[in-house]
Amino acid sequence: MRLPISWLKDYVEFNDTPKGLADKLTFSGTEVEAIETIGSTYEGVVVAEVLKVERHPNADKLTLCTVNPGAGQMVVVCGAPNVKAGGKYPFAQVGVTLPNGLKLKKAKIRGVESEGMLCAEDELGLSTDHAGLLELEAQWAPGTPLSEVLGPPETVLDLEITPNRPDCLSIIGLAREVAAMYGTTLKIPALALAEFGRPAGELTRVEVQDADGCPRYTARIMTGVKIGPSPDWMKRRLEAAGIRAINNVVDITNYVMLECGQPLHAFDQELLEEGRIVVRRVRPGEKMATLDNIERPISESMLVIADAKKPVAVAGVMGGAGSEIRDVTHTVLLESACFKPADIRATSRKLGLSTESSYRFERGVDIGGVEWASRRAAQLMAQLAGATAAPGVIDVYPTPRASRAIPCRYSKVNEVIGLQAAAADMRRVFASLGLGASENGADACLVSVPTFRQDLEREIDLVEEFARIYGLDKIPTPSPRAELAPGASDRSVEAIYFCRNALVGLGLREIMNYSFVSGALLDLFDPNDAARRVVLPNPYSADHSTMRNSLLPQMVETLGRNAARQIREAAFFEIGRVFEKKEDGTFQEETRLAIGLMGAVGRSGFDRHHPVTEEDVFLWTKGIWEALAGTLRLSKAALADEAFAGLEAGRSVSILMDGKPIGRFGLVKAALRKEWRLSEPVGVLEVQFNPLLGRIFASRSFSPVATFPSVGRDMALIVDTSVRHEDILKIVEKVAPKELERVELFDIFAGEGIGVGKKSMAYSFTYRSSERTLTDEDANRYHENVKDAVKKSLGVEIREG
Amino acid sequence: MKAQDLVDLKQKAVGEAASAAAPSDLEAVRIKYLGRNGLLPEIMKGLKDVAPADRPEVGRLANELKNELQAAIDSRREALETASGAQKAKAFDTTLPGRWRTLGSRHPVTQIIERATSIFSTMGFTVADGPDIETEHHNFDALNTPQEHPSRDPKDTFYLASGLLLRTQTSPVQIRVMENQKPPVRIIAPGRCYRRDATDATHSANFHQIEGLYIDRQVSMADLKGDLTYFARQMMGENVQIRFRPHFFPFTEPSVEYDFSCHVCGGKGCRVCKHSGWIEISGAGMVNPKVLSNVGYNPNEVMGYAFGMGVERIAMILFGIPDIRLLYENDVRFLGQY
Ligand SMILES: [Zn+2]
Repeated sequence: MRLPISWLKDYVEFNDTPKGLADKLTFSGTEVEAIETIGSTYEGVVVAEVLKVERHPNADKLTLCTVNPGAGQMVVVCGAPNVKAGGKYPFAQVGVTLPNGLKLKKAKIRGVESEGMLCAEDELGLSTDHAGLLELEAQWAPGTPLSEVLGPPETVLDLEITPNRPDCLSIIGLAREVAAMYGTTLKIPALALAEFGRPAGELTRVEVQDADGCPRYTARIMTGVKIGPSPDWMKRRLEAAGIRAINNVVDITNYVMLECGQPLHAFDQELLEEGRIVVRRVRPGEKMATLDNIERPISESMLVIADAKKPVAVAGVMGGAGSEIRDVTHTVLLESACFKPADIRATSRKLGLSTESSYRFERGVDIGGVEWASRRAAQLMAQLAGATAAPGVIDVYPTPRASRAIPCRYSKVNEVIGLQAAAADMRRVFASLGLGASENGADACLVSVPTFRQDLEREIDLVEEFARIYGLDKIPTPSPRAELAPGASDRSVEAIYFCRNALVGLGLREIMNYSFVSGALLDLFDPNDAARRVVLPNPYSADHSTMRNSLLPQMVETLGRNAARQIREAAFFEIGRVFEKKEDGTFQEETRLAIGLMGAVGRSGFDRHHPVTEEDVFLWTKGIWEALAGTLRLSKAALADEAFAGLEAGRSVSILMDGKPIGRFGLVKAALRKEWRLSEPVGVLEVQFNPLLGRIFASRSFSPVATFPSVGRDMALIVDTSVRHEDILKIVEKVAPKELERVELFDIFAGEGIGVGKKSMAYSFTYRSSERTLTDEDANRYHENVKDAVKKSLGVEIREG
Repeated sequence: MKAQDLVDLKQKAVGEAASAAAPSDLEAVRIKYLGRNGLLPEIMKGLKDVAPADRPEVGRLANELKNELQAAIDSRREALETASGAQKAKAFDTTLPGRWRTLGSRHPVTQIIERATSIFSTMGFTVADGPDIETEHHNFDALNTPQEHPSRDPKDTFYLASGLLLRTQTSPVQIRVMENQKPPVRIIAPGRCYRRDATDATHSANFHQIEGLYIDRQVSMADLKGDLTYFARQMMGENVQIRFRPHFFPFTEPSVEYDFSCHVCGGKGCRVCKHSGWIEISGAGMVNPKVLSNVGYNPNEVMGYAFGMGVERIAMILFGIPDIRLLYENDVRFLGQY
């Protein structure tokens, strides 16, 4: 809503700067988005009369105009198509700087010297219109400063009106707010309408077939209308408010709409079949073109204004092309009505057509002010369009809106806001907003709500009214009262923080990706899960059409994006939700943890520059998992070889918890990572998040720390390359004495001296007793047993260490 | 052996020790005089041949020789060791890059959420959670959002089948908590939300909010102001002020938008606050009695406040991040800054 301040001042007195007013509005709930200045003092620009228009000797589209700028005559070159001898236009002599910044210099235009310039709107900074000269009324004497014609510069506030305040979509509604803010009074124009001739009731009829859709309809007949331009002051106000001037009758309907918030429509009554109005729903097969000459697909759910035969307007949205005001219109049927907001909203949405009128009807107009608006427009038509109002108004208002009274407890107001305001202050605030407030017992008043404030229904609404006008800055700022709600616990959140900190401690950086991805990205990893994906019916782009069902595609994409920026190493994790459609059509979401590695992230120092192998990246990924599982005390977690879509065969494992799969890790398929030109192995892990958190705060037990010294023994064996570390551990475990504290693989070697298809594995064993100091002989005995078992089970050679 | 011989010998030995060029030379001096077969044991052995009258004097001088020479050797050894240590230190490069795995980092959005959570936790708030895929009931209806409210428009909200949608705010968590718990309630709910916004420097279709809710017998707008002020000062800086502007939201009444005074310029105006001295944060208000009724609370018995805040927005303000998209690009060089 655009609010020209000079217009506002017609209805309310206040003494403040535009900035001061804007702040007051903002801090009472009407947000000011911008303060704009329109027009200027037009220094050096005067009214000039064009005496003579001749063709420019050297240009077809230019004319030479002899003008009278108040004294003497001057010749100017003009390019405007609308210049006419006898017309009056703004004129600036050479030397003047126009409001748009153009400084007029002495110059020849196509060989003819121009002594000045006749101005269009854009050159005066009024608008961007350059279609023709700004035409001024004949009453202005040549030489009159333009500032006298256009008035002083106008300041316009651009306001954001919240949907609960349709009353503020009008100058008077805003003036009421301003009066409350400054403690002054609202001045509503007094209406005196002289009526003559046959009564309106004899000249037309109104039939409302749908009182639910149209609870009130008024029609007034204006005769002897002379269509012409509106006076400049009205045009300026409309334009400042953002509405284009058209002709006096249409301008008046718009002017009154801006003034009081009630949209009006003027029909040429002679174009109405039988000159009458029927408010009804659209009939099957009916069609209609709106004022903008566009055929609209009206449908049977829509309310229209019809004449005896056909629809002539889409109710509350836009008039029809066949009944609009023409230059020759004589008799105007003036509609002022109230339509059901939901109907107008539905129609406006269906037609894709939002107008100043529909915008107001959707939010709700003041049903009590319908007739006032009609009378106000009739008065202006009588004044400005030579019209005569036929006596009376047709007012179809079968169920007048009952007035509402809301009890308001002073103690409640103070309790909600946290104030100790006086009852008198509250009653004064209510009264300033045009609400009646009468005493209602010791601690309450009864507030009567006028029809223009339909948003006020309950006590809490009045609390809000008081708070915003009294001033939110008066609310105190007490210290917090830290009380604990029963059952309050943040254990689950603490567990998440613990886990995240562990990941950070392991050197991983947290990333965050969108929850939606393209289906194509998911297809790359697993085209077979398409049926279980959650697809958005209304995505905002194809790249974000599907809810992610795994964190891994974006993880690899993120590594790829970094690699494309010459980043060689990255170790990432993400904790995020994934989404799945179950077979029964319901949706399920689950939080997961993903990890992604690229480059030599598992090394430090100069080793970083050696190329990384598949084994490196796999074992780093595994190492992170083991470290995490260790710190989260997931002793029940196990791993098992398993193949997964998107992961390299033989280089992926499943993570099991209590025997149930909860995740996986491994190397991304080479073909897949090449999509992002990732030439080195990429390790990824994805696991359900919640199963990781269960044991963080579990109780812990103490195991005594061994005090007797340990004895170390090594064992190096040459085995087939197919023998796995785990095979050896299993054999050792079977025969190990309780004194075997630790077994550690410290070297693997294949190649020269070992033999084809063989590898050397070297282990160190630590023996320790909790009861005594072990002798060398004890250790030898234990170790021989272990070696024998390994030898026998694997039939391998043991190289003494 | 004469006394004078011993005095001369002492002078010579101490001189040799003091001028030894290397630890090995010093060791040779020690062996020469003090070793098992050195000169001094020789002298002690020959003591029995000295005239009895001279014996005490010669014995005293021999002891003196032993002690002074040992002291000279020790002092010279120390000097030599210090010198060679300094040389060694010269070859040791303390400027080489350190070798230890570095820490990772938490995402800036996480950092804000964790920080905010811990601030509210000191005020007795605990964290509540809800699903990303929400029902229209929790996201709109129960929050008193009219059917025709623009936020419900499919232009702005991602709908899924049958009354489900991607939550547009964290407010539905309020409803879930109140539906399942009797008052008093003091929760904050950080979480991911979705709006059908075209992505630009300040908009992202996927973003995070933190919702706060406090319901009890007596909770006022003043409490809201006090608690948000405490939060603002912990989060942004010591002297930050809070300002309320009246606004309209369906689920609160009275509703406000709240601003923090600029933590950078202290309210004088700077680039961060666009020269206004204030930074717009988000919306808040007193929970609408209709919402309380919707969840089965009695609005005559309990009341409370609710607030929201945009996590990305606070991260951008606090960390000086110029473009929201940086938060979702996950460039190592960006993440490494926080
Ligand atoms: Zn600032």
